[in-house]
Amino acid sequence: MKRFPTLVLFACSFAAHLHAQELDPTKLLKPPTDTWPTFNGDYTGRRYSTLTQINRENVGSITLAWAFQTHSRSLESMPLEVNGIMYISGGNEIWAVDARNGRQIWHFARPGAPLGGGNKGVAMWKDRLYMTTPDAQLLCIDAHAGKLLWQIQLDDPALKAFGGVAPLVIRDHVVVGTSGDTADLPGFLLSVDPMDGKVQWRWDAMPKKEDTVAWNSWPHDTDVVTRGGGMTWITGTYDPNLNLLYWGTGNLHPVENSEARVGANLYTCTIVALNPDTGKLVWYFQSSPHDTHDWDTVMTPILFDGTFKGKPRKMLAQANKNGLFFVLDRTNGKALISEAFVPANWVKGYDDRGQPIPDPDKEPKPNGVLVTGGVGTNWQAPSYDPDTGLFYVNSRETMGVFYLTMPGKSAEGWAGRDFFLGSKSMLKAIDVQTGKVRWTADTQGRGGQSGILTTAGHLVFTADMSQNLVALDAVTGKVLWHMYPGGAVGTGPMTYELDGRQYVVYLADSVAYTFALPSR
Amino acid sequence: MKKFAVVAGLVLAAVFLLNAQEGGPAPGGRPGAPNPAAEAARAAAADRGHTLFKTNCSACHGEDATGGRGADLIRSSLVRHDKNGELIGPVITNGRVEKGMPSFQLTDAQIADVVAFLQSQLTLFDLHTRFGPYPNDIPAERLATGTVEAGKAYFDSHCSSCHSPTGDLAGIAKKYNPPDLEVRFLYPSGSPSTAIVTLPSGQKFEGTVLLNDDFYIAIQGKDGWYHSWPRSAVKAEITDPLAAHAELLQKYTDADMHNIFTYLETLK
Repeated sequence: MKRFPTLVLFACSFAAHLHAQELDPTKLLKPPTDTWPTFNGDYTGRRYSTLTQINRENVGSITLAWAFQTHSRSLESMPLEVNGIMYISGGNEIWAVDARNGRQIWHFARPGAPLGGGNKGVAMWKDRLYMTTPDAQLLCIDAHAGKLLWQIQLDDPALKAFGGVAPLVIRDHVVVGTSGDTADLPGFLLSVDPMDGKVQWRWDAMPKKEDTVAWNSWPHDTDVVTRGGGMTWITGTYDPNLNLLYWGTGNLHPVENSEARVGANLYTCTIVALNPDTGKLVWYFQSSPHDTHDWDTVMTPILFDGTFKGKPRKMLAQANKNGLFFVLDRTNGKALISEAFVPANWVKGYDDRGQPIPDPDKEPKPNGVLVTGGVGTNWQAPSYDPDTGLFYVNSRETMGVFYLTMPGKSAEGWAGRDFFLGSKSMLKAIDVQTGKVRWTADTQGRGGQSGILTTAGHLVFTADMSQNLVALDAVTGKVLWHMYPGGAVGTGPMTYELDGRQYVVYLADSVAYTFALPSR
Repeated sequence: MKKFAVVAGLVLAAVFLLNAQEGGPAPGGRPGAPNPAAEAARAAAADRGHTLFKTNCSACHGEDATGGRGADLIRSSLVRHDKNGELIGPVITNGRVEKGMPSFQLTDAQIADVVAFLQSQLTLFDLHTRFGPYPNDIPAERLATGTVEAGKAYFDSHCSSCHSPTGDLAGIAKKYNPPDLEVRFLYPSGSPSTAIVTLPSGQKFEGTVLLNDDFYIAIQGKDGWYHSWPRSAVKAEITDPLAAHAELLQKYTDADMHNIFTYLETLK
């Protein structure tokens, strides 16, 4: 109460010096250390930090450094940390917090706007923040004062589109998508000018007639191609050398009806590589051609370089909701590995690019069909550790039963029903050279819905099914630290170093918890 | 604090207004935080619209608006893009003579009610076709595509050591609707595990498992009390009553599932 006027004075009198708090764009190009400047920590999506102060020898002694209570609902966002300030978001709100001690600097809340969860985080460009909202707007906010500068409507909330995705800043582009899962809601990516929100380009997940291959992957005796699908729920990744933006797209409508949309249905359930300056498609890899099970392909496409079978490669790896693990050559989108990481009985085989061929017998049927592989993982981010060469993913083995309730070409909406039975959650460490699971931590239902962070301290940070925060040995999977935060982790952990001290941050329920080694 | 909120609110509201005045992007979406009164008004409008729909429209467009002799309004792009009757209204009042639809003389308020009803139907389709019974309940005959004989043979060889058609399963097909019956025989989730926990002293506790993670085990003991121990300090023998179901679940073929359902459906 007393603090606020002081802060205002502070903000005003030091306004001239605040450029020092701006985000240095080169931070996005390196593994995160003193800064966590974007949803995934850097452009690669690896969620791997080179920090080693907290490591497998001492992680057992980390302790709470501070906590920040947002008094909000459960958060699903990834905080940023830039120049000692943490930006935490949720629904229609942002909190700027002193990353040293957890004290609030400012709080932005939209008056009168409907509240809603699902926000995944903010993006930063210079001294500005960008967030998407439950009513499908993109907001630009002044980072030193938490004031709204402008907003644009991205999509139509009346058609049940909503925001939530953390935008991705590439040079002078703010790239953003929208969410939703209803008919008449076509997915897209939009690039806007960070200064004024003017649209620079738009890429549509539903193809136009000129794009023959994609257009012909739809039937044209119904209007289904003009309707909806391919939502862009989760932040993509970027390779500055190839100048390619990688993003995954969602499922389509009618969701579980095959007959209404015979064909591969490009570009739904697809990883696309776009030129971020023009929005032009360079290549695509469809991870669930002709999806009939709601298997969005929005899981992080992680980028890393290395040798593969003796040859240097630029790779992209993704553990998909459909139960398959892919390693692609990210220059051309050809699969080096297509391999199930959980049982997946819906796959009949793979085509010459490594895209799966779905088994028509495992499409939803009026009398039900048993399907494995589904929701093998979800949007919560996995992590790749270059030291171990392992890709860590929180996975689930499920048995689904899928009923087609609306057969025929005029089906609408979900058009089916599905039940997932007896699922088994586990953390899996996948060898990116072979696609085989190196180890599985499956005792007592580890795995869960949290994202993952790896560090050069040979650690894997995540949360388990019982809502425990855990740190595991990255090589063996042994649990080295745990803590119960009193609520669920909606997203994953992140880390940063400040004043020579490494912090690990989790948002659990509505609280940010920050852990560090005991201060001396 | 309160003052701050008001001031901040005013500042932000001003920014919103400014944006609107500049002819810039549309301001803050649909106004208002979740508003129970508005929700109630919408529901009442949908109810009135439902009545109007039944009287005027359902003969051709179907009771649930999915069509019949006339167009499927749920799959209609025009319906989905309508906000307040600006698209649907002209169709109602002018008709579509070329398609055999007469004109209907409804007032603007009545049209708004019909729109509210159609929007509520769209919501049901988008969300509830996945989860709820409306409007596509799954009838038993659709699921019972196997044979009773094959289902009974499977039951006798795999299930009868725990279950009996004249004992615990007597009349089971009457108790559950068809998809629930199928999902329940596949995996009747909701039955908790039990544990016998042995302390280093040799003392034993038995009860229902409440928590069993890497670090703790907690049970509701037979004494009615909650008990917990560090996982490493005790031995716990855990019995999952669904273990046999979990094992079978991995083995069923689609044909097994259809046969078993066809057989269980006879237990009425």
